[in-house]
Amino acid sequence: MTHVAFTPRGEDVELEADWIVVGSGAGGATAAVTLARGGERVALVEAGPYRDPGDYPSSVYGAMRDMLDAWGSNFTRGRAYWPIVQGALVGGTTVINSAIAVRTPADIFEQWEREHGVGGAAMAERVARAQDVIEQELCVEEVPVDARGRSNLLAKQAADKLGFDNHYMLRYIKGCLGHGQCLQGCREDRKQSLNRNYVPETLAKGGQLLSCAPVERVLLNGTRAVGVEGRFKHPQTRDKGARFTVRAKKGVVVAASVTRSALLLQKSGVRSRALGKNFRAHPGTPVLGVYDDPVDMNTGATQGWASTAFRSEPGFKLETLSLPLDMLAGRLSGTGAQLMDRLTEFRHIAMWVQACRAESVGEIRSTLSGRPAVHYTASRADMARFRDAMHLVARMHVAAGARAILPSVYGMPYRLAPNEIDRIKDAPLDPRAYVAILSHLFGGCVMGADPARSVTDEQGRVHGYQGLVVADASVIPTNLGVNPQHTIMALARSFAENLLQ
Amino acid sequence: MLWLIKFAMRTMMPRSAELPGIEDCDLDGFLRRMRRDSDGLYWLGLVVGALVFAITPILTVYLPLPAFLLPKKLLQRHAEKIAVTNLYLLRNAVFLVRLSAGMCWGADPAVRAKFAMKPYAPDPGTFRTT
Ligand SMILES: Cc1cc2nc3c(=O)[nH]c(=O)nc-3n(C[C@H](O)[C@H](O)[C@H](O)COP(=O)(O)OP(=O)(O)OC[C@H]3O[C@@H](n4cnc5c(N)ncnc54)[C@H](O)[C@@H]3O)c2cc1C
Ligand code: SF4
Repeated sequence: MTHVAFTPRGEDVELEADWIVVGSGAGGATAAVTLARGGERVALVEAGPYRDPGDYPSSVYGAMRDMLDAWGSNFTRGRAYWPIVQGALVGGTTVINSAIAVRTPADIFEQWEREHGVGGAAMAERVARAQDVIEQELCVEEVPVDARGRSNLLAKQAADKLGFDNHYMLRYIKGCLGHGQCLQGCREDRKQSLNRNYVPETLAKGGQLLSCAPVERVLLNGTRAVGVEGRFKHPQTRDKGARFTVRAKKGVVVAASVTRSALLLQKSGVRSRALGKNFRAHPGTPVLGVYDDPVDMNTGATQGWASTAFRSEPGFKLETLSLPLDMLAGRLSGTGAQLMDRLTEFRHIAMWVQACRAESVGEIRSTLSGRPAVHYTASRADMARFRDAMHLVARMHVAAGARAILPSVYGMPYRLAPNEIDRIKDAPLDPRAYVAILSHLFGGCVMGADPARSVTDEQGRVHGYQGLVVADASVIPTNLGVNPQHTIMALARSFAENLLQ
Repeated sequence: MLWLIKFAMRTMMPRSAELPGIEDCDLDGFLRRMRRDSDGLYWLGLVVGALVFAITPILTVYLPLPAFLLPKKLLQRHAEKIAVTNLYLLRNAVFLVRLSAGMCWGADPAVRAKFAMKPYAPDPGTFRTT
């Protein structure tokens, strides 16, 4: 078993493997373990460091410093500047996410076939088979009764009262203790983020891992991918270290995330008109309810309740989401005495969110310094979906007995009485009135049958190149309307199985 | 610059009858760590946010004075108005300062105790080296 972490200048590192996998998140770790189980020698190359639960931070500051890509300072460039959140460490975003497991809806494969010439029944079957196995391996279970917490219970009561389909979540978590710290990594080691299973299994099967090792370029020999190169980067000091080169006998799998994979291929000289195009997301916004009795939303599962009843029409998903005090304090509007007064209610607040199945399409480009610049503006139709969804969340809070609703929309009052929530129906449609978060990202290297409109085929193979595969969320050509990790892992597994044949 | 950031944060999160303010937290230590640790772009954003906060009383309370020379009441009015200005860029710049102040304040053990929450364990910042 080999793990090469940050290596100082002067000791250049050279390795060889059958397959190189770039990025160790949902897609990369799954592709790597599948190849390793098939007997291939895998080198997993990850930009971020390898942290175990004992290394995880507790505070939001620590999470930004130790776990987020670029300190969480990526944002959309368009009408509004919305934060784009991604993890940058071994295990990728799975370390900081809520581990919600949702199967790919059947209509998605029909849509991909209709619009992109990939997918259809055969892919649906492959993905379903992979998801069966992944659910076993990553211990998918419903939020345990003791870990539900009052915010999740209130949401369930509200949705039941309003009469729409809803459920406690299924998550990749073994025996959740409801410590509500998923976003900073589970220090209790209950969450099955991929640094805890697929990455160590890849190493145990003879794989190699380079951490703190951002790949700068995929090496091409003509149209064949033959390796990768880059330079180690220290996660604390950001000092540059030794150069590394990894040679691949069979090929390179790129899984560096939606914001990074397309740019890496572009920088490596891969030619495709579709690179960076077709960026999509599920922008999410909160609506808060204030209750008479304490809710203590940080007690219980970080995200424990959901509804997909409105996924197809009008197009959004509802979820609970408990933000830590050190994140919520700065997100409540107001300043000075007014803000401090608002914060006294913290224990009484429940936060529920809508994730919009947005139709808007953006593009990933590179800044001069090589950082991703995501050009994206939500359309009026998407903003109308936001508004409908937020009104419904407000109705849920009222049904659950909230004494006030905090809509978090610029231009609206900070606080609405229960009988005033219809004012949300007239909330502005300007994206600038909202601080939406983008955490479910798609596209940039989308799959499709037509090389003029897509980067890869339906096995993730880059059109016109040999031994070059993309296996992360960037191949997904549409939004999903549900949390993406399960789909990403299933696709990565099936792409890797195809490479073994 | 550090002074300007601290001034903006103290104005945004003052001590109240019920809650400690950011002046009761280890703000100096927090900002020292943030300056050392943070991505350059993040720190730049914070500096710009603090500058915006300092130089915009002309837009909010219509006085050609920097925020740190305003009397207390006017400063409070300025803080409230700049946080909700309809100039989007300015609003966002100031938002980053408030967000960062919230990270310092909300992680403070005395503040957490007020909300019946345990103190945070330290952020070790460690990682596997082999
Ligand atoms: C806060 C949050 C909560 C979420 N909750 C859920 C949830 O509960 N359920 C769900 O289904 N989805 C959730 N998601 C979304 C889900 O986690 C992501 O969609 C998924 O992890 C994306 O997988 P990926 O493989 O495309 O990228 P990632 O998992 O982001 O992995 C990419 C990896 O590549 C590395 N990398 C980047 N560039 C390079 C380079 N040049 N060289 C080497 N390595 C590189 C990165 O450091 C990173 O580790 C959440 C996301 C966020 C931000
Ligand atoms: S809710 Fe707490 S115990 Fe459960 S997985 Fe998240 S951090 Fe771990």
